[in-house]
Amino acid sequence: MVRVLLPALLSAGIFAGTSVGRAQSDSDWAGDLSPIAPADWTYDRAAHLIERAGFGETPDQIARVASMSPKDVVDRLVDYENTDNRSLKPFDESGVWDPGMDPFPPSRAEAVRIAQERGQSLGVKVLPAGTSRRFQPVVDKFFYGLMANSIETQRLGLWWANRMLTTRRPLEEKLTLFWHGHFATGEYKVRDYRMMLRQNEMFRARASGAFRELLVGILKDPAMLVYLDNGENVRKHPNENFGRELLELFTMGVGHYTERDVREAARAFTGWSNDVLVFTFNADLHDDGEKMFLGRTGNFNGEDIIGIILEQPVTAEFIAAKLYRYFVREDISDSMKKDLGRTFREGGYRMKPLLKRIFLSKDFYSPPSYATQIKSPVHLVVSTYRKMGLSEVPTIPDFGRMTSSLGQSLFGPPNVAGWAGGRTWITPATLLHRGNLFRDVLFPDVKSFRPPDRTMSATDARVGQRLAQGMNITEATREGDAESNMMADRDEDYNTRYGGYKGNADAFERTKVIPRRPAAIDLTSMVKAAGAGTVDKVVDHFIHRFLSVTLAQKDRAVLVDFLRGKLGTDAVRPSEKLEDALRELLYLVLSTPEYQLG
Amino acid sequence: MASRCSCSRREFLVRGLYGIGVGAGLPLVLNRTSAALAAQALEGTSLERHPERILVVVELSGGNDGLNTIVPLADPAYYRARPNLGIPESQAIKFADGFGFHPSMVGFERLYKDGLMSVVHGCGYDHPSLSHFSSMGFWHTGVPNGGESLGWLGRLADSGFNPATRNTIVNIGSSQSLAVRSHDHSPLVFDDPARFRREGTDAEKQALVELSRARETKNATLEFLASTAQNATESSDFVRQASATYRTPVDYGIGGSLGGNLQRVAALIAAGMPTRLYYVSYAGNAFDTHVQQADLHSRLLMYTADAVRGFMEDIKRLGRADEVAVMMFTEFGRRVEENGSLGTDHGTATPMFIFGTGIKGGLYSQHPSLTDLDDGNMKMTTDFRRVYATVIKEWLGYEDTQAVLKGRFETLGVFV
Repeated sequence: MVRVLLPALLSAGIFAGTSVGRAQSDSDWAGDLSPIAPADWTYDRAAHLIERAGFGETPDQIARVASMSPKDVVDRLVDYENTDNRSLKPFDESGVWDPGMDPFPPSRAEAVRIAQERGQSLGVKVLPAGTSRRFQPVVDKFFYGLMANSIETQRLGLWWANRMLTTRRPLEEKLTLFWHGHFATGEYKVRDYRMMLRQNEMFRARASGAFRELLVGILKDPAMLVYLDNGENVRKHPNENFGRELLELFTMGVGHYTERDVREAARAFTGWSNDVLVFTFNADLHDDGEKMFLGRTGNFNGEDIIGIILEQPVTAEFIAAKLYRYFVREDISDSMKKDLGRTFREGGYRMKPLLKRIFLSKDFYSPPSYATQIKSPVHLVVSTYRKMGLSEVPTIPDFGRMTSSLGQSLFGPPNVAGWAGGRTWITPATLLHRGNLFRDVLFPDVKSFRPPDRTMSATDARVGQRLAQGMNITEATREGDAESNMMADRDEDYNTRYGGYKGNADAFERTKVIPRRPAAIDLTSMVKAAGAGTVDKVVDHFIHRFLSVTLAQKDRAVLVDFLRGKLGTDAVRPSEKLEDALRELLYLVLSTPEYQLG
Repeated sequence: MASRCSCSRREFLVRGLYGIGVGAGLPLVLNRTSAALAAQALEGTSLERHPERILVVVELSGGNDGLNTIVPLADPAYYRARPNLGIPESQAIKFADGFGFHPSMVGFERLYKDGLMSVVHGCGYDHPSLSHFSSMGFWHTGVPNGGESLGWLGRLADSGFNPATRNTIVNIGSSQSLAVRSHDHSPLVFDDPARFRREGTDAEKQALVELSRARETKNATLEFLASTAQNATESSDFVRQASATYRTPVDYGIGGSLGGNLQRVAALIAAGMPTRLYYVSYAGNAFDTHVQQADLHSRLLMYTADAVRGFMEDIKRLGRADEVAVMMFTEFGRRVEENGSLGTDHGTATPMFIFGTGIKGGLYSQHPSLTDLDDGNMKMTTDFRRVYATVIKEWLGYEDTQAVLKGRFETLGVFV
């Protein structure tokens, strides 16, 4: 259902005020961190703030924000703990984890190796000697674990998307998404949705507090420890990965430390590991010898290293600049970086003062900042739903598939550097696809929709079909004749292809199904509530509601002509064909280059 | 798609590009290109001595373990450093004195025997970075430790190719590589050709052609979006049809994404795409084998070798073998010594590979020492930009490599 309908009177007032009076006064605002005056607070600026610090809003909500003072708005936005959010539900786990599945082995080969050694693995016993495919139950269980985790992670992504859509604390979710990209961790390597969920909750709980708490939290976070292989970082064989990413990506950035600093930091974090879901420190594996790090010498441990890193002015600048790029724009001047960095460091790395300063600054509302940011795929989809007034994320088409096809999977960033963002979201192909996806939302293909949480790969599905036809496992899993296939295991101890099929089937049985529903869109009611009784007014309402930049007159005319052509008249009255015509029009609006900008 | 003539690309260009009848998208893609290319082909300008020649760059992301790819069989230091992961001499595919391919690289063995493959030992750069992101960035820009914002292929296109020629660069991938970032050219980037299309009714699509025109505005991001939208509209039909109608009996192997991506390149070459620079990658940091490396690396190498061998065979089948060269790289090799988790950590020097009929197959440069190390890592023997210079000058015929690479780099004499 459409969540909030727009009162006609209010909308008339908004139309009159749109985009007027901005261009003149703000031309010298770029780079000016002083706060915006209440007199300069407009509907467009309120919309800009809600777009960047959250996921956009419906026009009536924006009008409400525009009627408050900028300081009150920013305080409410940033001090979000004061906003009641109890209506949001916790993640509803399927309960896929069986005793013995911990710790989950890194590969099928490793699962089998353990089984050969101990007679069991993943909580499953090897079949008696002499039985054919003795290790099959272990291999089946391994693939079950992979698939069950993958499905739970899909459900987790949908759960989070629904939070983003319905939260009354949009900045909390926007920051959680920021930290997920900054401290990027992917389920495809962690292979444990429980760790991903806990990490997500940690990000949310510490999203706007002191940066140190967040940093310590992530360095002790099981998902991150697994993702960066820190279990392998031990006194005798230090693994540099953790130390390197800490310095390069998490705190300081390239160019402010040496290779030696990387190695010394890695030594300080030896012994930091996890026992499945709990952080552990193993003193026997820790190197407590003397280290020289960033010019200081001592028997540093991990916490000491964090302390030294936070003493570096460059760390505060690095984090402040990254937050600025996420919320404001790509290029930040050196002086602004230093200025924001100083505020941040001198304020004990507390994030709220920094965020308030950014959101209130004239720079935030200056032309180079306004409607110049390319929406991330997750932001694009969630904010569209929010602007449509939906109260639930549609599941036809599938949310996770939509964003991943545009280059962003929740709980699956491409690598530890996170999403590069900005123009890298856009290629000719993804740009077309950004529009196409909304056509699928507006004209959902319910009949031929295949739910990804219940769809096997073609190879696995073929195995299932052949087994159902009565073939034995060997016949059912024979496949092609390419060279690499010849090398695929024909190991008599187990059959990998069968394991893949069986693991899938078991996971389908034991994970909760994602309920499949198309979007509850009612554009007829939307335009009626907006008082848009003509083709022109409908086009203007859609532009106003969905676009952050004004459309050129000739492009607006294309939309008007299109709708007039569909309806055969200028008048917009309820009729059989109205809803479809409005949806086609909205598809065009959402496919414009302008719509990619927030 | 109509079957193409077996004539060379040069003759083909001169005869006129509109004749091949691939579909309605063609004239748009080749917009303003056919005349320019044909003229260059006739005149043989210094800028464009070989307008038929194509370079395909293949990236192996994650840092491929060069020592287990081109195995230094005769070096006891290799086996000392890798008691568990070392490839025994008996298993390696010996192809030259002292060197063997990893046993899964049957595809490379074939190419090498046929004289279609060159190996350049020990490639790297001074003051190597062990960070994926930094090092890959250095290989992409061709300016290590320099903070260059354009890619080396992008700069090559800027210097050597007419920006009026659309789609000089094609990058198959889900996002654009820094290597192809150009000032004047707009690389065509796509992943799955079948989905490279605008959905909707004819009326919707027509309206969207109007709404997707390039434009001038004060908003630079909007300008970028609009010009990308226009190129997408104009190129997607051609690319999709070329790929959908492409049929080949050649087997590119079954694993990984590289085979499919190279087949997409073959389809575009077959369809007469005016592209000179193709960029494909084995993406997703696949080669970052820190833990339990042996099985994983074996699969990766097999997929890679199968895919390249398939591509070379397919290009030959198309009668275009003499017009295509392939260069393969990774952002760094791995540490000489294996780590404690049956894997290898980030290293430095790494071999590069060049494939094609136009080369003198064999080994180039010196293999780095495995005992004279720099903090556990090999010292590079060949600046990787020498290999870039080699393909730019010796293959594509562009003389001023210094302008593109921002420094003087001797070519290696790999091409005939």
